[in-house]
Amino acid sequence: MGRIFLQHIGGSRLFTCGNCNIALTNRAELISTRFTGATGRAFLFNKVVNLHYSEVQDRVMLTGRHMVRDVSCKSCNSKLGWIYEFATEDNQRYKEGRVILERALVHEVDGMDEPIVNDS
Amino acid sequence: MQANGCSQHNGTTEPFESHSLRNPPSTSNGEVTTNGNMVGQNNRNLSRTDQDIVRLIGQHLRGLGFNQTAEQLIAESGCALEHPTAARFRAHVMEGEWEKTEEDLRELEALVKGGKGDVIKMKFLLLEQKYLELLEDGIPLKALECLRHELTPLKYNTERVHVLSTYMMCSSAAELRESSHWEGKGAASRQKLIENLQEFLPPSIMLPPRRLFTLLSQAVEQQKEKCPYHNTQLDSDLSSISLLMDHICTKEQFPNVTTQVLDHQDEVWHCQFSPDGSRLATGSKDNKLIIWEVDTLHFEVKNPRTLDEHKFGVGFVTWCPDNIHILVCGPDETNEVFIYNAVTGDVRQRIHQNTDDSLTYAAWMPDGRKLVVGGVRGQFYYCDIDGNVIDTWEGIRIQGLAALDDKVALAADTHNRIRGYNFDTLQDFPIIQEDHPIMTFVIDDKKELILVNVASQGCHLWDLKDKVLLRKFHGQTQAFFTIYSCFGGLNQDYVASGSEDHKVFIWHKRRETPVAVLEGHRMTVNCVHWNPTEPSMLASASDDATVRIWGPKDKLEKRRKGRVTLCAKFNKGTVTLCARFNKGTVTLCAKFNKGTVILCARFNKGTVIL
Repeated sequence: MGRIFLQHIGGSRLFTCGNCNIALTNRAELISTRFTGATGRAFLFNKVVNLHYSEVQDRVMLTGRHMVRDVSCKSCNSKLGWIYEFATEDNQRYKEGRVILERALVHEVDGMDEPIVNDS
Repeated sequence: MQANGCSQHNGTTEPFESHSLRNPPSTSNGEVTTNGNMVGQNNRNLSRTDQDIVRLIGQHLRGLGFNQTAEQLIAESGCALEHPTAARFRAHVMEGEWEKTEEDLRELEALVKGGKGDVIKMKFLLLEQKYLELLEDGIPLKALECLRHELTPLKYNTERVHVLSTYMMCSSAAELRESSHWEGKGAASRQKLIENLQEFLPPSIMLPPRRLFTLLSQAVEQQKEKCPYHNTQLDSDLSSISLLMDHICTKEQFPNVTTQVLDHQDEVWHCQFSPDGSRLATGSKDNKLIIWEVDTLHFEVKNPRTLDEHKFGVGFVTWCPDNIHILVCGPDETNEVFIYNAVTGDVRQRIHQNTDDSLTYAAWMPDGRKLVVGGVRGQFYYCDIDGNVIDTWEGIRIQGLAALDDKVALAADTHNRIRGYNFDTLQDFPIIQEDHPIMTFVIDDKKELILVNVASQGCHLWDLKDKVLLRKFHGQTQAFFTIYSCFGGLNQDYVASGSEDHKVFIWHKRRETPVAVLEGHRMTVNCVHWNPTEPSMLASASDDATVRIWGPKDKLEKRRKGRVTLCAKFNKGTVTLCARFNKGTVTLCAKFNKGTVILCARFNKGTVIL
């Protein structure tokens, strides 16, 4: 299985995989905390890294019909949530390309302050 | 290669026949009346190029000593090799008729590129030779006269005149030659003098020395540059190759076959040859680091020695420039690195700071005593070989490290960029910025180029000084696993990378499409490394638990020849054939018994009966 290449998104508050603790995203990417998943409370993020994506599935949710992929941890393969590929209803289109992580499946930990360098 | 310094070279020089000294340039097309003995009838029919070629050939023939043939050529073609005065000048120099050369020089004056100033320089060179020859002949009085009345009045390069005057004190010819670095009276030193004098005259008047040879050397140089598989050292002179056809290396001479398969028990994540090419280190997921000896004479990697004091999978290894120490890093959550002495097998040092550190990358400084260590959780230490931290840099999540010099390290970080960090001035500066995450990177020996493996994008080659992207190499795939690439081959002209499609890709630095794609591994190739001292040997580490050594086909055949022994025994109707291949033995045995043939093959200890 090679040495899996893991990205790091940085940030001062990190969300990590609840099972293996690899960094997935940070608080700056958080869009909404008012979602519900299979285990209860779930968060919507703008960008999440180190994910493994399943095949596209057609799922009917409370907010309508969506094309989604389940996402799992690239390192330990434990289930984390899903990503919206396509929303059939126009007012749900903002979710496309965004990722849901279930609160019960991730940890929130302290990251570090990275100096902001502007090279340009 | 000799650059032609003539400023008016670009098509403006006229053939000298129409540019005679004594006559003003003739306007009628090539109809020249002077020097009639040199200008033949065919001249008008020859194009400028043809004339040049004839002159080149003539010069080469003369150089070989075929003077009669050369004369014949000149007579028949009507192209003189050189301006008649220049030819006379050359002859007089070669004969050492210094008075006559001055006369010639006066005639040539109008043709000298730099005018009066250069004529003085030429005179000086001539007189210098005359003076030295007089000294060697043991006529110091005449030499002194030359120095006083001829060299000094030129008022040129007085310093050199002073040096020349000291040679007066030499007691013997040998001593004179020794102290003046002069070849002594004769054809050799006079030839050299002519080559020096020639620089002051346009090539149409006096041909540059060995012009044909220079042109051919340039052609060969260009052929070498165009050759896609050029990976062997050729001498710079032309003797090593044939001029009768274009130089081209075949693919067979390039590393493209597996010469050896080295076994591990688990996925091999990294491999690296020592800087002197004498050892190979391979590291696998099951915590094993194996040090192999490289026998470049027999193109063989042998005598494995396993080091496993560290208790983590080997994700990255790097040899110290001293060729003795080797550093081992683990996967993401590893908080320590190990330094082994590869010769004794002992642990030289464990570098460990905090339990929640992640130390996954390291690079030795060129002095081999200091190193940088870092990881994705933000650790970046500058320490010595004994593990003492000299300095730290805060707030950088390291994805790869390399050393530029003893004080400056390059680090790839999680913002898709590589920056330089100077531990002397504690300043950092930008180098490159990619659009996608950088997985790994290496810099070449000259510290001019960076090769970056970019996640899901492939291998990118950057210029370190100009900070520009030079090339995006095609073909290879990577996204999921950490893949390492390398520079290698003759003059580090090639780059090679592992790939997730089980192949090894090799590109020429100047071309984006691969020159070779090596197939043989059955799973992802994690790392490729080129032997730094043997341009035809490279190693690749793969998830299929093997390391493959690649080389040219003839090396494989050479290895086989040296290894296979065959013997046959005839004994009461039984024929035993035995072949030894490396360490495994195959015994074939055939029994002829009452019309039945029993074939039996033994491979090491297991027996197969056919």
